[in-house]
Amino acid sequence: MPRTFQGDALEHALRTARVDLPAERVEIVRDTAEAVYAMLDQLDTLELGETPPATALNARWE
Amino acid sequence: MTRMDTLVPTVSEAVAAIRARTLSPVELTQAVLARIERFEPALESYVEVYAEEALAQAREAEAAVGRGDRSGLLSGVPLALKDLYDVAGKPTLCGSAVRAGHLAAEDSAVTGLLRAAGAVLVGKTVTHEFAFGVVSAPTRNPWNTDTIPGGSSGGSAAAVAAGLCLAAMGSDTGGSIRIPAGLTGLVGLKPTFGRVSKRGVAPLSWSLDHTGPLTRTVRDAAMVFQTITGFDPADPDSVDEPVTNVLAGLDSGIDGLRVGVPANHFFDGLLPEVGDAVRAALDVLVSAGARLVEVTVPDVEISSEVITTIVGVEAALIHQAEMAARAHDYTEDTRTRLIAGAAIPGTAYVDALHRRRRVVAGFQSALAEVDILATPTLPVTAPPYGSDPAQVMPALSRLTAPLNAAGLPGLAVPCGFADGLPISMQLIGRPFDEATILRAGEAYQQRTDWHTKQPPLTE
Repeated sequence: MPRTFQGDALEHALRTARVDLPAERVEIVRDTAEAVYAMLDQLDTLELGETPPATALNARWE
Repeated sequence: MTRMDTLVPTVSEAVAAIRARTLSPVELTQAVLARIERFEPALESYVEVYAEEALAQAREAEAAVGRGDRSGLLSGVPLALKDLYDVAGKPTLCGSAVRAGHLAAEDSAVTGLLRAAGAVLVGKTVTHEFAFGVVSAPTRNPWNTDTIPGGSSGGSAAAVAAGLCLAAMGSDTGGSIRIPAGLTGLVGLKPTFGRVSKRGVAPLSWSLDHTGPLTRTVRDAAMVFQTITGFDPADPDSVDEPVTNVLAGLDSGIDGLRVGVPANHFFDGLLPEVGDAVRAALDVLVSAGARLVEVTVPDVEISSEVITTIVGVEAALIHQAEMAARAHDYTEDTRTRLIAGAAIPGTAYVDALHRRRRVVAGFQSALAEVDILATPTLPVTAPPYGSDPAQVMPALSRLTAPLNAAGLPGLAVPCGFADGLPISMQLIGRPFDEATILRAGEAYQQRTDWHTKQPPLTE
């Protein structure tokens, strides 16, 4: 089920990120934000198995 | 209407001729500046041209040659920098009104290394705003000015392809060196993450940004890479890895080289002509002695989602202060994407870093069986000018972004045309093994002439 930003959900999410979004721009940003969240949901399709967590990239394969 | 004159020499040709004193750096620079004056109005590839400074640097290079000084690997070669690279005393505008009034206090690390090698810095080239896109307006593609050059290093690509400099620097967060190189018939090298310093280059995404060159030949890319590679303790992402001499083995051929051809992801959904051209390029590698091996790159399909999440969060943080102070100075597309990125939760960001490991492991698995991988660089040719950045981004970055996720070196090499627009092959190496993909690319270019074709640009 795709996640949507109904009502003032987007403004609330952005306040937590310290972004002040003028009312006239909410609709412009809503579609992009929902598309980004759809991509986040795609991440869940990859099984992590025993993969250890990462906080940065180590290009050396160590 | 005048058809384009013969292009300026390649970097390697110019260096050889300058050292032999059959080519004057001053005359070469004057020729490049004349071409800029002639063709730039149709291409709009430069933000600023440093004509006087370039001629002064060319005179210095000429004097050095006169003294018998052969220390500079790029002595007297006119190069350009994407307008993310700092040049002391010059603005770094990053394609954005947000940066109006900026002046760089110091050279970027790469700028300094190019200067030390005797390069002539011709000017700054157009970037998609803060490198956050693949369109690079207003720059046009020299092969067909009704199409885009790609991005975000689109100005660098157009300038090199049109002979308005001999090579140019780009940056690559999801493909921004290889995409424009591929769309304009050039070679583009994205080195291993941490191989080339990013100090003094405006960031888009700290953990995904790479710096590297766009050139007309693989040899030229090797020469520029050799000049700029090396550990930089002032860049927190720089890796203290021994510097390889990639020029030493460039001509040693690829007899016995195992070239992996991915069975998943990379050959899906291609324009038919792209698939045909890349398969023909693989045949050329075989004729040069390589052995093709079918491989699978597990979990590579998740790369775009990983990249989008990481870039979204890191870019939102990088621009947080400017967005709070002057959001109206960003273009609509960038502004919207930065806001959407700010709404990504921290847990999703760390989750993307976690899953990034699977992409790295996927490549590690594939490259355990072979020496390099060969894929198309892009599934399509250059899209029309005026394309919506959000619409073209997924297709143009689908085959390049996995290498940013994995931090691996990638080389775009021209391998054909469709309807007059370039097609490109991508060679992928193990970490810090730029030497092998450059050697394979050189072997390919010694047997083909795609890199010698000239765009049919008119004034």
